[in-house]
Amino acid sequence: MSALVPLRVSRLVKTYRIRSSDTRDGGALEAVRGVSFDVRAGECFGLLGPNGAGKSTTINCITGFFPPTSGEILIAGVNVHREPKKARAVLGVCAQDETLDTDFRVLDQLVRYATFFHIPVEEGRRRALALLERFGLSDKAKEQVEALSGGMKRRLQVARALISRPRVLLLDEPTTGLDPEVRRVLWDILMEQRGEGAAILLCTHYMEEAERLCDRVGVMAEGRILDVDAPRELVGRHIGQGEVAEEVRPGAIWRRPANLEDVYLKLTGTRLHALEPA
Amino acid sequence: MSVVDSLWGVRCVWLRYFDVFRKSLRYYLVTTFSEPVLYLLSFGLGVGALVGTVRVHGMETSYRAFVFAGIVGQTVLFQSFYEAAYGAFVRMYYQKIFGSMAVTPITLSEVLWGELLWDATKATTAAEVVTLIGVLLGDFTPGAVLTVLPVAFFSSLLFAGLGLAVAARAKSIDEIGYPQYLVVFPMFLFCGVFYPIETLPAPLQWVAWALPLTSVNSLVRTLTLGFPFQPGAVLVIAAWLLLLVAYSRRAMFARLVK
Repeated sequence: MSALVPLRVSRLVKTYRIRSSDTRDGGALEAVRGVSFDVRAGECFGLLGPNGAGKSTTINCITGFFPPTSGEILIAGVNVHREPKKARAVLGVCAQDETLDTDFRVLDQLVRYATFFHIPVEEGRRRALALLERFGLSDKAKEQVEALSGGMKRRLQVARALISRPRVLLLDEPTTGLDPEVRRVLWDILMEQRGEGAAILLCTHYMEEAERLCDRVGVMAEGRILDVDAPRELVGRHIGQGEVAEEVRPGAIWRRPANLEDVYLKLTGTRLHALEPA
Repeated sequence: MSVVDSLWGVRCVWLRYFDVFRKSLRYYLVTTFSEPVLYLLSFGLGVGALVGTVRVHGMETSYRAFVFAGIVGQTVLFQSFYEAAYGAFVRMYYQKIFGSMAVTPITLSEVLWGELLWDATKATTAAEVVTLIGVLLGDFTPGAVLTVLPVAFFSSLLFAGLGLAVAARAKSIDEIGYPQYLVVFPMFLFCGVFYPIETLPAPLQWVAWALPLTSVNSLVRTLTLGFPFQPGAVLVIAAWLLLLVAYSRRAMFARLVK
């Protein structure tokens, strides 16, 4: 019943044409090579992978901004490339880049953004004030965006993604640059959204974040998902349940439980140091 | 996707620009209107006192009236080009708002139409203010305020297309300087803003007629001063309008959508 799955990515392939003269493989870059996954209602699905693994390309295809080379993306059963307006009405996006509209003050830009979802100004204002309160930005409502710290801008951008009460939430590295306390506030908010039935797709480089928040995680490298499962299942399958020993400095051995980072490093093959089961 | 939905999207984008304009009204009034008004004063009154009258197409007119009409065309060119070239580059490259608007129920196509229409709206408004000054001073026929409107709008859309195409192709904001100094300034100086192009050597006249601003000035002078109508001007403007608007949208899609 695809109509009931908030987000379905089926056999997504995305090949970029490169025009520059220095391409080696015929002017094409296969950024995503056949990726499939579902994100269910009330589920947080994590995409982990090194830079260049194809995570952001996948996100850009899901928003309907980049057309897929092949494959299909359904948001609440609607093909986002055939009916972008309908599909994106239930989609909230927080891009990796800062994309706040610096021509508007903090509150005004949430209200303006809400109008893009057919939300009347009064209703948008009510929602915006509630979001600013929840994100600890109430006293910044009248500020220029430029006057905010990096962490505050990040929070504002996540808040903006929530203004339309989306059923599907795409978050590309939402907590980068946040201090531990603010990060926890954001985690709480995301878990509230999940509790209310939102389907969340989270791209992150923070393994602890993925382990805490994500019901399932897909580990991506070179345009493919190498394995998908709950974080503990992945750890058990690829590392084992015991402790691992790691030489963190010459002569200093740490023994600790295996974690998602060990899985990530093992699967994506970027490990430079030896990791031995203890 | 229905036409009504698309128009709604374009309207949303246009209203976003209008809201920014409204919120910084004083800044925009000073920066949008000071330039044409300064040109009017400097050339209309200063050079106008020196030159007295000019004779074009067998018609005698005061230099002040002649140059006022040219400033209408110059206003259309500068206001729409700068807003679309520098303004759109900042919005697209630094603010990244094209990308953030085009993942909502608004599409990139609608964002670009909204951008072009806003740039044209702003330039048309400025051109109308100059026209109104010309009418109030008795240099233009009173009806010019209305008749100039469609010419100013479509010409503004044309130069907004030029600006957006430049924004789409510029690798950095500094690169916008190339077309600004190699295309826009030459048009400003050689397309009949300050003197009739008939005074130029013949080959330069042909170049001037190929560039769109000469046709804009010709039409504006027909409507404000009663100069003879030159039908070719409509064709030149229509051709550049279609070409530049289509190319600017294509170039922006090519840049943003991979």
